[in-house]
Amino acid sequence: MHNYIFLISILLVTYYMVIVKRLPALISGFRLQSFLLFLITASFAFYEKEAALYIVAVLILFLKVILIPNFLKGISRKIQVNENLGLFLNPQLSIVVVLILTYLSYLFTFKVMTFTDKMQSATFALTLCIVLTGLFIMIFRLKAITQIVGLLVMENGLFLLAVTMCKGMPFLVEMSIFLDVFISVIILGIFVYRINALFTHIDVNKLSNLRG
Amino acid sequence: MILFYILSVPVILSVISFFAKNLKTLGRINAAGHLSVMLAAFYFAITSKLPLNLFNLFYIDALSVFFIFVITIVTFAAALFSIDYINKDVSSGNIKEKKAKFYYALFNFFSFSMLLVPMVSNLGMVWVGIELTTLASTFLVGFYNNKTSIEAAWKYIIICSVGIIFALLGTIIFYYAVSTAGLAKTLNWHQIVPFSKILDVNTVKIAFLFILVGYGTKAGLAPMHTWLPDAHSQAISPVSAMLSGVLLKTAIYAILRFMVITNNCVGTSYTANLFILFGIISLIISCGFILLQKRIKRLLAYSSIEHVGIIVTGLGLGGLGWYGALLHIFNHAATKSFMFFGAATVVKKYKKDNLNVIKGVLNAMPFCGVMLILGMFAISGMPPFSIFFSELFILISGFTQGRYFISGLVLGLLAVIFAAIVYHLSRILFGKKPQEIDKSAETLSTKLSFLFLLVLMCVVGIKVPIFLNKIILASLEILKGNYGL
Repeated sequence: MHNYIFLISILLVTYYMVIVKRLPALISGFRLQSFLLFLITASFAFYEKEAALYIVAVLILFLKVILIPNFLKGISRKIQVNENLGLFLNPQLSIVVVLILTYLSYLFTFKVMTFTDKMQSATFALTLCIVLTGLFIMIFRLKAITQIVGLLVMENGLFLLAVTMCKGMPFLVEMSIFLDVFISVIILGIFVYRINALFTHIDVNKLSNLRG
Repeated sequence: MILFYILSVPVILSVISFFAKNLKTLGRINAAGHLSVMLAAFYFAITSKLPLNLFNLFYIDALSVFFIFVITIVTFAAALFSIDYINKDVSSGNIKEKKAKFYYALFNFFSFSMLLVPMVSNLGMVWVGIELTTLASTFLVGFYNNKTSIEAAWKYIIICSVGIIFALLGTIIFYYAVSTAGLAKTLNWHQIVPFSKILDVNTVKIAFLFILVGYGTKAGLAPMHTWLPDAHSQAISPVSAMLSGVLLKTAIYAILRFMVITNNCVGTSYTANLFILFGIISLIISCGFILLQKRIKRLLAYSSIEHVGIIVTGLGLGGLGWYGALLHIFNHAATKSFMFFGAATVVKKYKKDNLNVIKGVLNAMPFCGVMLILGMFAISGMPPFSIFFSELFILISGFTQGRYFISGLVLGLLAVIFAAIVYHLSRILFGKKPQEIDKSAETLSTKLSFLFLLVLMCVVGIKVPIFLNKIILASLEILKGNYGL
């Protein structure tokens, strides 16, 4: 039962990330989402008695709840970027689009994938929805940092999928993925600095020198 | 043991790069190291007993050996070409000496990550390896740190990361299929393949779709190719050759591994149709952009999309097409690196890359000009160069199966691309050289890197060496699902 509560709240947090207008709020949303992911992983580890999942949960807490959000906030403070996200779509329209995405992932899960277990169908639809929402944030928000957050949201969706459906990936793989995610965030952060230094803005829609 | 030698040399070289005093010596050590890696890979391929399984972490069969071999060849050529290229960059004040050392460190980290991909047994680790190749090469794409290269690097890392997330989604769904089928919870390829028949058909089909879209992004399949022309044209040139020559192929390697499982589970027609669809789209889109191209490195980048399209179409046609596709992977790696070296030499000399502006290359740089003429015909598929034969195999496979429409379409597109490439390149090759460009010759190491690849292109074109033929035939058996090879 508690799992349902966690899953529903993670969906609500994802919706919240779509309607926010300012960068710090978006990063806080990501932090909250990661924290819920931590709770779900920890509860799975407890009920399924999978020792490896405890380590995964701790790593989520350490990396995705503390380290990465702080790092992103640090960047946005340092380069003193305009905190408005610069929306291609306003919040009302965005939430409509994301609701449609939710419905589509629900349709995909129940029509195309054929799970026997209701709970599994629900979690699969949910994770697919989170992945698509991450993609939505990447495409329809203008700042470079929001693209990083969108990428991380997609990754959160996949972690949720791996934990709920397969009780985590093989341990070595899981650890390497954590390492990869962490390195990629740092590299992306470095590039945000460089973009800011060269272009004096971080609006990705204005990066359009290369064409054809 | 040889395996660990192959993996450890790049690591050692990248550490050495930070401490080296003299840049020229460093370049030579780097090239010598990669020469030894290539010879080691060759020795490994002919002597070791395959498949090789080490602690369930590394699993090497003929398919892996084939890809390792291709990677080491291109890496060695690129290392050889780097010596003079980087030296000129430093002496002309383009980059600082410290940054040049950083280049060699990244170069080796990049080659290490690519070598890792075909060696690991775990499909999750294959994903990790491919993500590492992106991370290692991003700084090489944005190496010059100017507006265009930073933009290209940003697009590269963002688009490839998104693509590869879909590949991870596919991998997780595969893992779900494996763990619900009552098998041991594993992602080790050689442990899944024997049981692939009992996996749930529907789940595997969906997983493969995500895999193809995800790794296809990294392989440069249209319409997910948008990062490729930017990254390949902005990267530092020896790395462009590696990106185009082998990075795309490592993604294809990952697709092939999943293809074997999917084929065993649902039959070959499902993957074949998807391959042909993406292959034809890639060919059509690249054809259009090649016709209208204004910049030489972008021209070559779009040509890479074309060749990936040909490879994937060959994989879709099956039979002789599979042989052709594997051979084409080798041929394209050699020929495209060759072309990128040529383009890099021209761009360095003229300090511009616009096809309308550069004139008289043959006059100004006789050696490089001749090489470009040969490469121009090789890349567009003229005999006696090797690409002609692998394309021929793929087309024969199509026509003999009675798939006239697809084969005819491929043939037509290839003809148009041939004309376009020859037209574009002959414009820069011939004509009078501008006054301010003086005639010059290339250094020995640069010439050697050209000749090395040229020999490979010609030899494979005349007759596929027995050794290579044997590896490809063994790889074909693996693709057919006979995993114990």
